[in-house]
Amino acid sequence: MVDAGIVIEQIITGLSIGSWLFLVAIGLSLVFGVLGVLNFAHGVLFAIGAYVAVTTVQSAVGNFWIGVVAAAVVVGVIGLVIEMGFIRQLYGRAEEDLDQLLLTFAFVLIIEDIIRIIFGSGTRQMSPPAVFGFTVSAAGFSIPAYRLFVIAVSFTVMGAILVTLKTTNFGRLVRATSSDRDMASLLGVNVPRLYTMVFVIGAALAGIGGAFAAPLQSVTPALGETVIIEAFVIVVIGGLGSFVGTFIGAYLVGLMIAVGSIFAAGAGELFPFIALIAVLLLKPEGLVGGAEA
Amino acid sequence: MSTLELEDVNGYYGNSHILYDLDLQVDQNEVVALLGRNGAGKTTTLRSITGTIPRREGRIEFRGENIADDSVDEISNKRVKLVPEERRIFPTLTVHENLLLSRDSCKGTEPRDVEEMYDIFPILDDLRENNGRNLSGGEQQMLSVARALVQNPDLLLLDEPTEGLAPVIVDDLEEILEDIVSEDVTVLITEQNVEFALELSERAYIIESGENAWDGTIDELRDREDLLEKYLSVGVEE
Repeated sequence: MVDAGIVIEQIITGLSIGSWLFLVAIGLSLVFGVLGVLNFAHGVLFAIGAYVAVTTVQSAVGNFWIGVVAAAVVVGVIGLVIEMGFIRQLYGRAEEDLDQLLLTFAFVLIIEDIIRIIFGSGTRQMSPPAVFGFTVSAAGFSIPAYRLFVIAVSFTVMGAILVTLKTTNFGRLVRATSSDRDMASLLGVNVPRLYTMVFVIGAALAGIGGAFAAPLQSVTPALGETVIIEAFVIVVIGGLGSFVGTFIGAYLVGLMIAVGSIFAAGAGELFPFIALIAVLLLKPEGLVGGAEA
Repeated sequence: MSTLELEDVNGYYGNSHILYDLDLQVDQNEVVALLGRNGAGKTTTLRSITGTIPRREGRIEFRGENIADDSVDEISNKRVKLVPEERRIFPTLTVHENLLLSRDSCKGTEPRDVEEMYDIFPILDDLRENNGRNLSGGEQQMLSVARALVQNPDLLLLDEPTEGLAPVIVDDLEEILEDIVSEDVTVLITEQNVEFALELSERAYIIESGENAWDGTIDELRDREDLLEKYLSVGVEE
């Protein structure tokens, strides 16, 4: 019989994992939903964000929040270069999807090597910002305040995205273009520019995710690879292109990883893939199925 | 100077040559019908004007400016607005959001008021919060016209506006379009419903297999039953 205390602890851990997985997956989902590009390089963009944050915090700057902003800016600029310089050349090709996949996969290999060259192959670690250097205790359980903070960040990002989609013209453009880009052009929308903006936002979200996850994770050059696979599992479970689905998927995967590990070592890593197969067989459009985007 | 002038326009989809040396002219505030059988190249002609065809050659001038090499959004921002045959309402946006998006994307001129659209199309007023995907064909067509109109077009291109609509809706639409064309707007309309087009228009072009077959005034066309039968397979009621 599993101890109820352990289960609750693992649920808390699962929510924490889900929160930063959401920050990775949401950018992937956004870029796919609007541009139709499955960006394999999203994971390495996340890794760059983590490295930028660690480097900033451990440098003379020494400030976590500047690290988060730096991660968003640096990764956003890299996203700008990737989209305008490369992905844009592939839109409208007959084998567009395959070419995009191969191109973004090439960036995985290139960026991972660049990370090794600049930062070395070793593991980097950093502490949460001092303001969250305490634990919150309730009913016999304790949880580091920083984990609660990242959970709050994920809810805030989700809320901000939903509000933006619903109440701003940019949000309406994103929703409209994801269903009919040609009609958006006919209404005078500069679709290539919108695509660049969305890709940069997606990349910046990956950077921010990496920065917020850095105190919770060992930062290694291979971080991007692990993360991209989990992010893909999340967006498929949630429904490709659905933001609410991504949110639900991220927390489900986080919970499966943490709670699953109670049963057997390694089982936690397995459950998300079982769920992935189940979703693909039973509800291939995903749990939410792109309803709002 | 004409508002729109096409000279020797050729249009292609991949290796298919669809339009052959097409000429067409629409003057300021004129309503011109583009008629022809299914597959004659009417929609392709409109697409060559809006830039949505993969390849076009020839001279396409709008207000004296060559637009043949402009992108779709650049042409739209010169106030050339298409109401497409398929209506293409954004399915996940509400009626109101479809109009807001159109208003806020309008460049090159001041957009019209969204509320004004609800006065012109009262049927849309009750449907403000309905998603595009839940509208009937007639409602979608009204919204599609309203969405173009809110951008305050200089040239309005209507592609088969009555297609698939119930007769009672066609009558409503005709009334609304008659009001619209009496305003300060130039219109090029394609229609299978020839009587509908003749009611609205002043002049017509007939095209056949992507080539000019005839052009003249509506009165001339009404007297030419041979043309109507040969190119449009219809008899026109007197």
